[in-house]
Parts: sequence; structure tokens; C-alpha cells
Amino acid sequence: MKNLRLMIAAVCLCALGLVSTPARAADSGKELVLWHAYRAEEKASLEKVVARFNAANASKGIKVKTLAVPYDAYADKISATVPRGKGPDIFIFAQDRLGGWIEAGNTVEPIDFYLEDEVRKRFIPSTMEAMTYRGTTYGLPLNYKVVTLIYNKKLVPTPPKSSGELVKVAKKLTDKKAGRFGLAYSYGDFYYHASLMNGFGGGVFGPGTTPTLNSAENVKSVEQVLKWVEKDGILPAEPSSALITSLFNEGKAAMVFSGPWFLGEIAKSVDYGLAPLPTLDEAGGKPMRPWMTVEGVYVSAPSKNKDAAFEVVKYLTSEEAAKMLALEGRQSPANQAVYKDAQVAGDKVLKAFRDQVEVAVPMPNVPEMSMVWSPATSAMNAILKKASTPKAAFDDAQKAVAKDVAGLRKK
Amino acid sequence: MSASDPQQTGDGREGVADRPLPESEAPPSLHSADPRKGGQAPGAPRHMRVLAGLVLALGLVLALAHGLLSRTVEDLTVQREDRRALVSLHALTDLVERAEGSGDAARAVVSAWQDQMRAGSAVRVIAFSGIKLEASTFPEDVGDKAAPRRLAREEKPIYDRGQRLRTAVETNQEEGGARKAELETELLSNGGRQVSAPVEVDGSVVGMVEMATAPQAPAPKPGLGPLLLWWLVPLAACAGASFVVRKQGLRVVASVVAFAVGLGGYAAYSLRTLEHEVRESQEVVAAQLRTMAERAATVLAEQQLPAEPALRPGHWDADEFRRPLGLVSPAGEVDAAVLAERVEEVASGVRRTFGGLAVLGLAVLLFIGMGGLARTVETVVEHRQAYLYIAPAMVGMLVLVFFPFFYGITLSFTDSNLYNSSQPLSDTWVGLRNYVEILGDFTIAKRGSDGALVFNYLNFYYTLFFTVVWTVTNVAIGVSVGLGLALILNVQGLAMRPVYRVLLILPWAMPNYITALIWKGMFHQQFGVVNHVIRMFGGQGLAWFDSPATSFLTALTTNGWLSFPFMMVVSLGALQSIPAELYEAARVDGASRWQQFTAITLPALKPALVPAVILSVVWTFNMFNIIFLVTDGEPGGSTEILVTQAYKYAFQRYRYGYAAAYSTVIFGILLLYSMVQNRLSRATEAA
Repeated sequence: MKNLRLMIAAVCLCALGLVSTPARAADSGKELVLWHAYRAEEKASLEKVVARFNAANASKGIKVKTLAVPYDAYADKISATVPRGKGPDIFIFAQDRLGGWIEAGNTVEPIDFYLEDEVRKRFIPSTMEAMTYRGTTYGLPLNYKVVTLIYNKKLVPTPPKSSGELVKVAKKLTDKKAGRFGLAYSYGDFYYHASLMNGFGGGVFGPGTTPTLNSAENVKSVEQVLKWVEKDGILPAEPSSALITSLFNEGKAAMVFSGPWFLGEIAKSVDYGLAPLPTLDEAGGKPMRPWMTVEGVYVSAPSKNKDAAFEVVKYLTSEEAAKMLALEGRQSPANQAVYKDAQVAGDKVLKAFRDQVEVAVPMPNVPEMSMVWSPATSAMNAILKKASTPKAAFDDAQKAVAKDVAGLRKK
Repeated sequence: MSASDPQQTGDGREGVADRPLPESEAPPSLHSADPRKGGQAPGAPRHMRVLAGLVLALGLVLALAHGLLSRTVEDLTVQREDRRALVSLHALTDLVERAEGSGDAARAVVSAWQDQMRAGSAVRVIAFSGIKLEASTFPEDVGDKAAPRRLAREEKPIYDRGQRLRTAVETNQEEGGARKAELETELLSNGGRQVSAPVEVDGSVVGMVEMATAPQAPAPKPGLGPLLLWWLVPLAACAGASFVVRKQGLRVVASVVAFAVGLGGYAAYSLRTLEHEVRESQEVVAAQLRTMAERAATVLAEQQLPAEPALRPGHWDADEFRRPLGLVSPAGEVDAAVLAERVEEVASGVRRTFGGLAVLGLAVLLFIGMGGLARTVETVVEHRQAYLYIAPAMVGMLVLVFFPFFYGITLSFTDSNLYNSSQPLSDTWVGLRNYVEILGDFTIAKRGSDGALVFNYLNFYYTLFFTVVWTVTNVAIGVSVGLGLALILNVQGLAMRPVYRVLLILPWAMPNYITALIWKGMFHQQFGVVNHVIRMFGGQGLAWFDSPATSFLTALTTNGWLSFPFMMVVSLGALQSIPAELYEAARVDGASRWQQFTAITLPALKPALVPAVILSVVWTFNMFNIIFLVTDGEPGGSTEILVTQAYKYAFQRYRYGYAAAYSTVIFGILLLYSMVQNRLSRATEAA
């Protein structure tokens, strides 16, 4: 008898569980869910933009709900939930995972169909390129992050325009014994090194996804770093990000190559300025071209309200929204019209990044890119530690990447 | 089943008792305990058991075979219809391509083509430039929706499909392979099929042609006659035999023979059906190809489209990558040799399937026929409470442990990676290739140009060697430091002992990834505290993560720091339980400190230390966090242990199958270790 009662209780509980799911799904109607990984002012400004959208579209019954997902687990959460229809309708993420999600399928909705030409033209062209995978557009660019030259105004009154000037200025400010350096950046980190690599005309992939790590340009770009470290001696050894921050804050590093994430770490007492990365005399005066990461807004493929979701995406990347995200969220919008706005144009930081992005290269969004990091980092290490010549190290890296890429395609 | 239940239960009792009839002679030990059974069913003759087994086993297997056969026949029919539709579609695409994929010429081709299609079929042409519907004969595209027009919002899936095909064509061209399907076929809601193909003009994909076919007549179902025949005839034969034969063993043999005959008969029937189906398909497709070739030539002439290059009907009967199948010659003749190959392929598939079914059926037959089922039912009924209690745990284990475990092992036999993870595992099956690649690679090191050994850090054996060194050194450090500290803390009358104890346990209480990151910072070349101290004493700072040996030292230090508190706590607990009288007696006997330690302390610690060491070996072997965070395998993967290497294969190189094989090998190593360990510790316990 007791068993029976327990059974009935269990069955009732199960039934309750089953009943509650469809009930929730039914009343959500045209409520769209937006996932992002922003915090602090970025989050606040995004929520403000969304609130404005909701107010304008209340009559159509469209309502957007935002959810901030902790960054560490964000990408995996997207990969796990979206293809199974449990994810958001819209999500914001950098372009580096885009290719992987597209190849995995049923994650990101292609949006070429919705894209009118005037919407396409509203963005800085290279940011739009970052949202494109094999000729198809998958999202609209929201903002970008790019490495630029950040300098201590007290030590460097006018920022150098070319690598020659850079070395000259830096040499004067370097005093290794006292732990002072003219320039500091994570040159061992392949991401930071990319601005030199692209500046010399090198790159990771040739046409399509053929790895070209051991190209002559790439080798030349590393030799440039070696020259800065050894011959000119303007860079510290083993530059970790923590070290660079502390050097800059103590006034022991006059110039730094870094991105917007660095600004938050600068001490209040340091008067800093931003300028485009110098041109390379060694490459015939071509500019250094950093990689940029573009955060895009995507419509998820299993979403039930793709039309409405695209309207949201369009609004989030509009001039009105971009202005709020820029001024309050301190982000660099990919919308180019917003930079004509007086307030935005008057903002030195935003303007500096806007100038830099002109020559920036979108970081490849192909899934093969994830196979590059480890061999490329090893190669950089081997070269900087003198364990290998630049050519040999990049040959090894090229071999490793080519092997991994082939392993992926083997049938 | 319910009808044969009582009989089997009766049989089971005999099985357990291993005694002949009658029931009254059965020993009471097992059965009298349950009064309900006592009065029930008189023991059924054993031959019924064999027959019941045969009925069930053969019935089950034939039902499965029948289901598979009807599905295969249906698949073949669908395939045939798709091929017919595709031949027509390719011919049309060829013409549309000659008409540059858009404009009035394309529309004229489409309307000319529509005339010869079956009622209910329709085609449409999409042009990517301007997202346009160029031509359409679909019934809904009339009036203000007539082509040409821009696609409406609800027609987005059509456009996306076209883009998908374009991407597929470009990807395959670029990679020089066939990875993505360049044609799509789809089942429509009305039962018809829809096939789509890309339109290529001057080497680039500019649009798509789609064709929807009218609903097909359902595929002919294989009849139930042969099924019943091959079920009942062997059954009758076996029933007859079992009355004649007296010996149970022979009856079982007879049932196995009957089973083989039944299954074999049905297999032969299936083979014939499928072969017929395959041959007929070729004829149908060949006929379609001839018609389409004629038709295309006519339209070509009518519409005055460029006739160069000549039409290539041989390319129209193609697979999903638009590679010719080669079953039908360009002239529309069936190629006998290729057809025979195809038939043989189907036949070998049938043989494999029936082989599997035979194994399954025989298992069922013997399980029932030899009395296994009866015994199982008996135990389950008798201990039903016990089974009930463990049921939730079993379900949990099944879902959370066994399923992922066996899935991982299955995955290790495939070439699953990022690009093909959506395909079924059987499509990416590579057998033991991953294991051969991992275990068969012996290029551990080679001689460099200057004669020095250059290790191949990606090699499995190098990583295994490093993992073993890592484990042994870590456990040795953990045990010696932990034991030493425990001995110090155990000194009688030590002042402030609780304070020391808390301080020494602290490293253990901190989250280990925080500890790991702190240590990593301390080993920084320029600003780390370790190098600072070295410089203070006039030395030169080391670049710790530059050479494998120093990099290993950093990880070792970090893990040593993390692992000694556990050993200390375990040893301290065991030390305190050693009675002080033993030491007193030893002192009276004049034993030295060292003698006391080896003769009293160590033996008393052994029961506590051995399990702790076993545990910490397994923990250290798989200590992912420390390696991943402190050295991250630097330099060049030389300080990678097996688990971190497996992680890198899965999530940096996206080779899931290979990583699964790697993990399985790790599992094998630990299994071996625990088996040896078990035997050893049993030996030590006995001693």
C-alpha cells in the first residue's frame, strides 16, 4: 500500500514536470532571447539599447530579453545548446568561432537574404568581411577590438610615425639596468605579432585555407622582432600581460602595443595617448596591420522568430544604438556613420581605434585557425629563445598545421 | 510470452535442481519457500522449451529481417526515383546554364521542359544576383507572384539552400575533394521529392535549379508469404523432430538446424528481391537517360542555345557530389560489369546483416532452449526486492557512466572530427586506424645534425614516459614531504601544533587552479620571485619555461606543494593511532630511533599509506589542471601529459575520434595499473 502511494506521488511529480515545459513555451510568444557576455558598462549600455528597442516595438508584440552569460563557458554553451534548439534567438560573439559553428551546422543563420545594400554599406567594410564565411554573410558586426599604439604622454610627446622613429625614441627611453623600456608588448604572443606579420604582407592562410606559415614575409616579420629585442634592445624579455601593465603604470614602459582591454588597466596617474601603429620602413613604408576581432550579432538557426530576430540585429547595429554603445559602453562600433557624430568624433579613444581599424585585418574566422595557435606560439617561442632559426621554426609550424588540416579533411 | 511463462518457470526449477521429472521429486530447497508456485503448472516437457525458443528466436529474427528488407526496398525505390529526377534535373540545369542562368532564355527552357514532365511536377530557377526567382512552373507562382520577381521573406529557405550548394561547390573545388554535398534531395510534405542543383556559369555558381516531383506510389512491400513459410516450416519440422528424438541435447541441435534453415531460406529470398530491384532500377534510369538526352537535344535546337560543348548525358546520372555514378553509359546502356559489382555490393551487405541476425537469433534460441531464461526469471522473481532497490542506481550508472564510456570507445574507432561530426558514426568508421597511428608510431627521437637527440614531443611513447616520470616523482615528493611533516607534527608536547597544522593544510584548501596560476607567476623570468631570490644570491635568473627540464621542475614544485598536505593528514592520523606503549617497550629493549621507525612506525602506517599512494598515483597521472595552467606543455609540447595531450587533440585539432582513442589508451593503462596494484596489495594484506 505504501509502495502504491509512493508510486502515485512519483507519477504526479513527473506529470507536473511534463506539464510545465509546454506551458512556458506557449506564453513566451514573440519574446526573443539575446545572449551576450558583457559586464559592467558594456552590459548596461546594451541593456539600455534593448530597452529602447522594446519600447519602440511593444505594439508589434516583440520583446527582447537579454541574458549575460559568463564568458568562460559562453562559446561551449552556444555550441551545446543552439543546435538542439535550446539556445537564444540572437547571440553576440567574436568572429573567431564563426567558422566552426557554421561547419558544425544548425547554429548560425545565414542572413544574406535579409540584407539590403544600404544595411551592408553601413559598416566598416573589413568588419563586414569578418562576418562572412565562404561568401555567405552570417551576422552583422557590432563592434571591433584592435591593437594600437598606446603611449605615455609624459615620456613620448609625439608618437612615432614609422618604425625608424619608433626605435629612435624607444632607444632613448630604454635603460635595461633600471628596468626601463621604450616599448613593451607581448611580441611572443602570435596575436600581437600578427600586426607585424600582416604589415610585411604575410599571413596564416593563403587562398582559401591553405596554411602559409613559412612564407618569406612571415620570416621577415620575426626577424624584425629579433632586431628590436636584440640589436635595438628596446623590448623587455618574456613580456607577459601583467608585466606590461605594471611597467606602463610605473612609467617604465613608454609605449605599448595593445587594445581597448588595456585601457581599463592603466593607472589614473598615467597620462596616456593613442596613435596608429607605426609604418614599417623595412617593408617599404607599409603600415603595421593588426588583427581585429569583430563581435557580431547572429541570429540562431533554430530560432522560431528569425524575421523579428533580424530586426533586432539590425537595430543593435544601427547608428542610434551604436552611439549609445560607443559613448556609454566604451566600445568601438562597426557602424561607420556614427563616427560623424560630433560627440563620437570628439572622443580621442574612439577616434584612435577608428583610425587604426582602417589598416587592420580581420582575424581569420575559419575553424582551421584554432589549429594554428599552438604551432605558431611554439614557433615564436623557439625563435625568441634561440632554439631555432626563424625559417626552421616556421617550417615546423607549417608542417604541423598542414598535417592537422589534412587530418580534418581526410575522408 | 505469458502463455509459456508457467512452463518455463517449471522448467527452470528442474534446471536448477538438475533432475528429471516428475515435479514431486524436485528437492524442496528452492521452491517450497514460495507457496504460490507449489500448486502451479505441472512441469512442462523439456521439448516445449526448445520449441518456444525456436518460435521466439526465429520469429524475432525474421521479423527484423522483414523490416530491414522492406526498408531497403523502399530506400532503393526512393533512390531510383531520385536518380530519375536528377537525370531530368541535370539535363535541365545543363540547358539553363547554356541560357546563362537567367532572363527570358532560361524561362523559355523551363516552360519547354515543363511540357514533358509528369503532372504534379514543377521546376523553379533561382538567380542569386538580386535574390530572384527567375522562372517557375510551381502552381503558386502565378498572377502577381509570377516569375521573375524577388523572393519573398518566407521563401528564405530556398535562397539559403542555393547558397549552401554554392558554398559546397566552392569548398570542394578549393579542397580538391568531395566533402560537401553539391545536390540536395528532400521529402516534400505531399510525399513528392524535391531535388536541387547549382547552376554554374563561367566557373562560378550563379543560381540554382529545383525540381519537385509528383508524389510517388508507395514502394511495393515484400509479401508476408515467404516470411510465414520460412517461419512455420522449420518450426513444424523441429516440432516433429523433438517428439521423435528423446535426448535434450539432440533436440537443441535440431532446433539450431531448423533455425539455420529458416533464416537461410529467408536470406535467399531477400537476396533475390534486392537483386531484382537493383537490376530493374538500372533499366528505368537508363530509359530515363535516353529520353532526357533526346528531349534536351530537341529543346537545345528549338531555343537556339549554344550547342558547344556537346551535351554530356553520361554526367547526368551522378552522386551527390555530381560525380558520374558510371552505372549507365552515356548512350543510355546498362554497364553490365559495373552493375554486377553493385549487385555484389548489395549482396555482401545482405550477408553481413543476416550474419548479425543469425548471431542474435542463436543467442536467443540457446538462451531459452538451454534453460537460461527460466533460471534468470526465477532469480529475478525470487530476489525481486533486491533488484528493485538497485534499479535506480543501475539506471543512473547506465546513463551517466556506461553510455558515455561506450560511446567514447565507439568514437575511438571512427575518424570523427569537426567537419563530419554530424554524420552517423558508421560512415566515419576507420577500425583500428587511430590506435595504430597512436601506438604504432615509434619515432620517439631522432639524431639532430649535431648528433644530439631531438625528441618528437608529439609521440605517444614520449608523452607516456613523461607522464610516468611525472607521476613517480610527484608521489615520491608527496609521500616523503608529507610523512616528514607528519612525524614532526607528531612530536609530543609540540607548542602551537594546531597552528602549524592549519598552515600546512592551507595549500590543499585553496582551489588548485589559483595555486597553479600563482606559481606560474612566481616562475616568471624577469619579475618572478624565484628568479629574484636567485639574483639576490648573485645568480642569474633562469627562463623557466624554456627547457623541458626546468619547465618540468615548475610543474613538479606546484604539484608537490599541492599534494603533500593530503599525505601529511593521512600519515598524521595513522601516527596518532600507534599506541605509545610500543615505543616504550622498544626503548626498554634498547632499540635506536631508526629501529623504532622501521620496525614500528612504518608497518603501522602501511594500511593507511598504501591506499593513499594508490589514489594519488591515479590523481597525479590525470592531473590536468597543473600541467595545463603552469607549463601548458611548453616548450613545444615537451611537458604534456597524456590527458592534456588528448584534450589538445580534441579541442585544438578537432580530431574527436583520435582523441577518443587516446583517452581509451589512457583508460587501458590505468586499468592495467589498478589490476596489478590490486594483486600486489592483496599480497601485502595477506603477508
